[in-house]
Amino acid sequence: MRRAITALLSALTLAVPVANGVAATRGTATSTTTKRKVVTKKIVGTAVQADRWGYVQVTLIVRKTTVTGGTRTKVTRRIVGITATYPDHTDRSVFINEQAIPYLRQEVLQAQSNANIQLISGATDTSYAFVESLQSAILQAKKV
Amino acid sequence: MTSVAERPRIRVEHIMGMPIVLDIRDDVEDEAVEQVFDWLRWVDRTFSTYKDDSEISRLNSGELALENAHSDVRDVLARCEELRVATQGYFDLRASMPGGIDPSGLVKGWSVDRAADLLDHAGLRNYGISAGGDMRLRGRALPDSCWRVGIQHPLQRDRVAAVVEATELAIATSGAYARGNHVVNPHTGRPPSSVLSVTVCGPDLGTADAFATAAFAMGSLGPHWTARLPRGYEAMTILSDETVLSTNGFPAV
Repeated sequence: MRRAITALLSALTLAVPVANGVAATRGTATSTTTKRKVVTKKIVGTAVQADRWGYVQVTLIVRKTTVTGGTRTKVTRRIVGITATYPDHTDRSVFINEQAIPYLRQEVLQAQSNANIQLISGATDTSYAFVESLQSAILQAKKV
Repeated sequence: MTSVAERPRIRVEHIMGMPIVLDIRDDVEDEAVEQVFDWLRWVDRTFSTYKDDSEISRLNSGELALENAHSDVRDVLARCEELRVATQGYFDLRASMPGGIDPSGLVKGWSVDRAADLLDHAGLRNYGISAGGDMRLRGRALPDSCWRVGIQHPLQRDRVAAVVEATELAIATSGAYARGNHVVNPHTGRPPSSVLSVTVCGPDLGTADAFATAAFAMGSLGPHWTARLPRGYEAMTILSDETVLSTNGFPAV
């Protein structure tokens, strides 16, 4: 995941200076002394290899607000939308993008009773206090 | 086929730094139990990184050349390399032993698989053998019931998160809740943060254990990777946000 995030960040860093997006203006002047201009731009990042999952291409929607009051100008940019596409992919990544998530069943973690079970599968405990005590409790319970 | 006893014969020994539980349900006397524990003690002497005179320690110190190592040692190391490739480097016997090798991530499961072979060869058909929470099962636990195995709840020690029913299966769980963060992502050197545990079921315990270790080390990418495990292997991942992601064939009841 860490590598995937790094890939996304470098996509953004590359993309911002070469903003090649579509511009749309929907701002208006708000008073005689202050001008407010809002521009929304779509910025398409370069396709970047995201680990073994193939290439990923990120599109940002950025809203740029320019407020001019007298001689002062304040510019704020805000990311209002982000999407990712997979423009160039291997068969494997297509499978993963389209199939892998539906192939996993998703549930909320349940805490169930350990009645009527013979063994417990869990992470190895070097002190073995836990697995062993649980194990022995189960084994003892069977002798009752 | 032997019949299933009403009462199990269970023996627990502490070998390889973990409790080994051998639970035999066949209604016959046998000598295979001793053979199994003798085998596991030999594995410990040969593979332990905590014993200076083990073959692995002597390989690491340069005292022993690989070509002079026992054929089982060479087989295990070759299999570790296959599994490293199969897991995109996430199962790596160099991860926890910088400058050396520590194959114990495979040795536990592999030695239990070989122990199961010994029991099969001795004619046993109904048994469970568990090494520190990773196990091989065969046959039935009771005359009218297959084996039922609880998957440890990672947050509540006296509860289980799921129950698996099986008549012929290996089950391995990798997680951070018991031993602390002993699994690290070999690519970052840091433990994964978004996953509590990964359980993998399949025919071979060594392989299932390596897959569970690798999927756990992958962190949030692990569940997607488990969706593409080889045929016969199924996985259940418990995420830190208490979401459980299982492959479609995971045998939880």
